[in-house]
Amino acid sequence: MSGNMKWLWLAIGAVVMLALPQFVTSSFAIDIFIRILLFSFIGVAWNLMGGYAKQLSLGHAAYFGLGAYTSTIMQVNYGISPWIGMIAGGVVAMLASLPIGWLCFRLRGPYFTIATIATAQVLMLIFLKFRDFAWGAEGTTIPNLGSAPLMMQFEEKSSYYYVVLGLLVVGLWITHRIEKSWIGYYLVAIGEDEDAAEAIGVNAPKVKRDIYMISAFLTALAGTFYTQYIYFIDPATAFSFSVSIEAALVSIVGGIGTLWGPVIGTVLLETTSALLQSWLGSSVGGIQLTVYSLILMAVILWRPTGLIGFATDVYHRTIRRKPARA
Amino acid sequence: MWETLAQAVINGLLIGGIYALVSIGVTLIFGVIKIVNFAQGEFVMIGMYISFFLATQFGIDPLVSLVVSMPVLFLAGVLIQHFLIRRVLGPNDMPQIFLTFALSLLLLNLSLMLFTANYRTVHTSYSDEAFHIGGLYIPVAKLIAFAVAMALSGLLWVFLHTTDLGKAMRAASQNRDVAMLMGINPNRVFAVAFGTALALAGAAGSLLMPFYSAYPFVGQVFVLMAFVAVVMGTLGNVMGALVASLMMGVAESLGIQFVGADSGLIVVFALLLLTLAFRPSGLGARRGR
Repeated sequence: MSGNMKWLWLAIGAVVMLALPQFVTSSFAIDIFIRILLFSFIGVAWNLMGGYAKQLSLGHAAYFGLGAYTSTIMQVNYGISPWIGMIAGGVVAMLASLPIGWLCFRLRGPYFTIATIATAQVLMLIFLKFRDFAWGAEGTTIPNLGSAPLMMQFEEKSSYYYVVLGLLVVGLWITHRIEKSWIGYYLVAIGEDEDAAEAIGVNAPKVKRDIYMISAFLTALAGTFYTQYIYFIDPATAFSFSVSIEAALVSIVGGIGTLWGPVIGTVLLETTSALLQSWLGSSVGGIQLTVYSLILMAVILWRPTGLIGFATDVYHRTIRRKPARA
Repeated sequence: MWETLAQAVINGLLIGGIYALVSIGVTLIFGVIKIVNFAQGEFVMIGMYISFFLATQFGIDPLVSLVVSMPVLFLAGVLIQHFLIRRVLGPNDMPQIFLTFALSLLLLNLSLMLFTANYRTVHTSYSDEAFHIGGLYIPVAKLIAFAVAMALSGLLWVFLHTTDLGKAMRAASQNRDVAMLMGINPNRVFAVAFGTALALAGAAGSLLMPFYSAYPFVGQVFVLMAFVAVVMGTLGNVMGALVASLMMGVAESLGIQFVGADSGLIVVFALLLLTLAFRPSGLGARRGR
């Protein structure tokens, strides 16, 4: 795509996204849009580490939960606005990512993945025990103040939509900047072959640490937003394994290590699950993840490059008549 | 005090036997095929449901239903290896991790759809029986499960060390490329390894049924323990997995007894993280792989 065309598409996209809540008033639909934006954002954060550097974390719930708990504890116990708590949560997650990264990054492949699962589990278990200031297993509801934009509480669902849209734009912008900078190339080199990357002078531990911190920071912001949106927190939700799963899933299905991959993947998976829900109601437990896992298996077996890779293939074959890349 | 300690150790060892069946399966698959099977726990769950339905529909004792659950899961393993795993073998970790992970999600959620989230139990004549030795209490069902688990582990050891196929599997796990050059048929060896691992998971499921409830998420409990044991015992090392599983069972039990009822897993994970922190090179082979 030429530069001008790209800006045109981006402008059209921006107008559509901004105008959407004005035309769609159904609360069910807005809720789906918010979920799509939120999980796109989490996927984008995961993709920095998991996609570009191919460090397959299944423990991002650790940072989601830390973000959620930091802002909620600050708000409920000390009355501090979640806008501040959100940034504080991000910082806490960044700090936590240092020891966790130190621990996990010395491990490769499946060892790394298992270690990330374990760290998220440990944090969940710890918050289950913290009854004094973090409410233990029962969790707590967040006091509903009605309309209080300064406390990140809105009467209109569309306001939440704009908040999470803003987060996603920030996430995509950061990814874009990283993708175009030397650190992006370093990440891809690490993802291809870490030993070879180090051999040509990439300081792999430092690059991974820095990107992991950014990834953790962004994931924590999502945690704060989600808790504010559902007005409830407990360890099982905040550190839910399914958050870790979905972060990875949307990226792989959409296209791992690409700017728009996590967004495309989320749109597909969340639309599918919304359709399933409206056809079947919530009566059949498990159907949503059953379909997710089938999509994931199909992608891995037939289109390992994800939907973006598939679309690029088709585009090159049918429109550009250029040889498709593998 | 000493009695409480001894009781906790016994409880831990007894459940550790089941962890061993699961983790030996994981380590066997990793050793031979170089794949971590994230779905191993779901096969324990399937083993449990097989025994549950055989018990409730036909009145078959869960321990007897071992002779059904093991072959069924062996066959499932051969088919999964042939139709799924074989297609993602390669230098790249990503498809392997996420294929077995997707399989785990699929089986878990299919069972949620088919069987609902309800807990299913089978009550046998020996479910509530226990031996009392001194002040110690040894539940019969758990003791049988432990004994059978150890016997199966022993059989596997004999199989790996005395039969040609077993030796081929060990050779493949030590150096796959050289083994292939020596004329070992990888497809056959991989299929038997995957099948055997799943059969062990099935056995674990059947052995658990007299004293544990079956529900769709049950596999996650066991696979988590198995991963910890497998990483601590060195991925791919059958003996290491066995010893580490028993240790994990004891660590969990001591945690529950002396730290708090909800703290068994904290102790286990703390052990794992400590190991990873101080002996990452002691895990697996060279460079933690």
